[in-house]
Amino acid sequence: MSEEKQIVLECRDVSVRYGDVVALSGVSISFARGRIHAVVGQNGAGKTTFARAISGLVSPDTGEIRIDGRALPSGNVNQARQAGVELVHQSFALPPSFTVAEAMQFGAADGRIYSRRGLERRWQTYLDSLNVKVKAGQRIRDLPVETLQSVEIARALVSDARLLILDEPTAVLSPEGAQKLFERIRHLKDVGVTVIVILHKIREVLAIADTVAVLRGGLLVEGPVECSGIDAEKLAELIIGPAARPLEEDQKAALTGSLDTAHAHLAQSVDRATVEPVLKLSAVSTRHDSDGPPLEDIDLVIRPGEILGLAGVEGNGQRTLVRAISALAETSEGKITIEGLDVTRASLQTRRAAGLRVIPFERNVEGLSLTSALWENWSARELLQRPLLSMVRPSELRQRCGTALDAWEVHYSNVTQRAGSLSGGNAQKVILSREMDEQARLIIAAQPTRGLDIGATAFVWDSLNRARARGCAILLISSDLDEIMDICDRVVVMLSGRVVGTFTPPYDLADIGAAMTGVSK
Amino acid sequence: MTESIVSVLRALIFIVIALALCGLIFSVAGYSAPDMFRAIIDGAFLRTGALQQALRWGLPLFITAAGVVISFRAGYFNIGAQGQFYIGAICAAFAADWLNGLPAFIVIPACFLAGMTGGALWAMWPGILRLRSGADEVITTLMGNFLAVIVLIYVTSGPLKDPSGSGQQASSRPLDAAYRISTSYGVSPTIIAIAILVGVLLWLLVNRTAFGVLSGLAGRNATMVTWQGARLWNIGLASFIISGALAGLAGTVELMGPNGRLASGFLPAHGFTAILIALVANLSIVGTAIVALFFGGLASAALYLPVIAGLPSSAIDITNAAIALFITAKSNIVDRFLRNWRKRGWTT
Repeated sequence: MSEEKQIVLECRDVSVRYGDVVALSGVSISFARGRIHAVVGQNGAGKTTFARAISGLVSPDTGEIRIDGRALPSGNVNQARQAGVELVHQSFALPPSFTVAEAMQFGAADGRIYSRRGLERRWQTYLDSLNVKVKAGQRIRDLPVETLQSVEIARALVSDARLLILDEPTAVLSPEGAQKLFERIRHLKDVGVTVIVILHKIREVLAIADTVAVLRGGLLVEGPVECSGIDAEKLAELIIGPAARPLEEDQKAALTGSLDTAHAHLAQSVDRATVEPVLKLSAVSTRHDSDGPPLEDIDLVIRPGEILGLAGVEGNGQRTLVRAISALAETSEGKITIEGLDVTRASLQTRRAAGLRVIPFERNVEGLSLTSALWENWSARELLQRPLLSMVRPSELRQRCGTALDAWEVHYSNVTQRAGSLSGGNAQKVILSREMDEQARLIIAAQPTRGLDIGATAFVWDSLNRARARGCAILLISSDLDEIMDICDRVVVMLSGRVVGTFTPPYDLADIGAAMTGVSK
Repeated sequence: MTESIVSVLRALIFIVIALALCGLIFSVAGYSAPDMFRAIIDGAFLRTGALQQALRWGLPLFITAAGVVISFRAGYFNIGAQGQFYIGAICAAFAADWLNGLPAFIVIPACFLAGMTGGALWAMWPGILRLRSGADEVITTLMGNFLAVIVLIYVTSGPLKDPSGSGQQASSRPLDAAYRISTSYGVSPTIIAIAILVGVLLWLLVNRTAFGVLSGLAGRNATMVTWQGARLWNIGLASFIISGALAGLAGTVELMGPNGRLASGFLPAHGFTAILIALVANLSIVGTAIVALFFGGLASAALYLPVIAGLPSSAIDITNAAIALFITAKSNIVDRFLRNWRKRGWTT
């Protein structure tokens, strides 16, 4: 019993400031040895800063961090590592051109010289012992993201880590990948490693952690409390805080992972078969390109007031499909119509004029120009519908942008600030305000909630539902099956560039999962 | 607004640091740094006629630099301003040669048209290569510079060679005085009017058209504007063409104004100074006008130093190069200093 209660890491009144911004304020918390601790909060709640502070990457402005009862000299990452603390970053830090063995050696250089083969043998044994299925001779850049993360974790464990900190490890993973990760974390716990895992999905917290602590606005609002003593609803309230608007019942259900109450709205689903579709793809195929498998014979119909979910393991042609609909991948065969208009050979500009809107996969690359001003980002779509040499009045655009951003509840200080200065959720709201205007008829939402906290996720769902109520046709691409099953009127599954299944409510997770992995029913 | 004030301040700080470095170099070389600076400032801005000389050198530089701004803003590093400047001057010289004898009101516009078209075409082929097949425009436009130098040598010692030339420097026959737009002294109302027209049109293009906003976005994130439905082909090629046409226009102004003839290897640093000006001005048109006059002053001091003050004109090259070095290095230290400065709110 006393073994279990032993404190491995303790923070006393830790505050971190970045300039004027207080990222963490007066956080006092301690974590017991040999357990899995979750730290949750919305984006901007201070989770990543917390992870960096306890791993010595960021030095606190006030307070102290004690590991095994010994104070950690402020911001000393080497001292922290010697004390057995290892951090696995949110975005990976392995050099892409290295082989796995080289990357492992890079973290653990022991001053000895190895031949290439010797190096690979050495690390292959180690990786095998951790049950990481990868060849030590493979290049980092060739690894799928799940494997990459396993390698990162394996690397963190080289130096005999006793406290492993994972910063949003599931953000980049598919649901199956997350399951595998959780098994790995439980295995680590079994061998005596204490794990602190930063998360923002409640159901993941409840699935993996022993205790949970909640950060909000840099303050510790709860915890660590035993997960057995808290339910999803209570946790959601703690994370969002009292200021949040009340969530719709089905949204709350989706956030907390209880699916039974969802689909209430689907009962009233009208007979849509008679309505002219907004988007129609007839036997569409594309040529092979670098973005995954080409499309083969895709037939797809989305009618007004319908959210069509596109499920599938990532990399099965979803990107190519979005690009084909957006005229960014050439349609080699077949026909695409938007609102009855044949746009197979039309440019994206023409398709957008017909009512197409796209919320792209990569928010920070395809959706926004981070170093440009908010108003420029916001007005790009509209400006492209005019002749290039038409005169514009920036002051008027700025004013209209401000009005729009206010209406979409974007937190910003000035429309001339750079888009990159917004948090993920706010950045996504800027994109929504641009792509979900009144003239929108067909909205392609590609992973619109990826990486967002639950407040912003609920906002996105709410917006999609409102657009549906207005009569828009929506294509929602997501790797989060819960999300898809909660808000879609119909679900299609893609595998290797083909549509392999269509599902209607009530959904059966097992059926959809089988279609995604190609297991015949 | 504060953003632009900060960027101007940053440029000024860099220039001060660069001048300090120059002073060090002058001292090591055995000159008195204060004397040197006094002579430079005197030559550039204070002596009688300094303003006119600054305009003489600064106005063509401004025209070329404004073109550089257009392509750089759109994200295309067209560093071939020098070549486009030469080809523009060559085309204008051919036009003047062919139309020789016709009235000036026909010849002068024809020369301008030819010069701008030549410069535009010389920027267009790297643009097409870039937009069609992704060939790096830095390489192709740089190659274009070398090609243009060779073409200039050929033209001045072949088709347009002045048979009565001294032989020291190959050049074309002098233009008929009726076709000149300024005397050899170099400033005239025509040239000033052209520069003002260019400035106003480009300011409108950058700040008041859809093209201006979209090309700025494309320069920072081409993927994003593509997903918005932009065709980079249109925006990109237009940027190349405009920047080339302006360099060609500057070449024409130099030919028909101060130079009066096409000389082999004339103004070899014009295009590069223009790039420097555009960068120092942080790709703003108004900034470019101010910085161009500053560099115009320095250019006139380069001629003044050896003649009047008995000092080496390479002092100006050193100054230019030092400023270029510090501006393009975009030192983090100065940025951090400025950020703190702004945060602490010393602004009043």
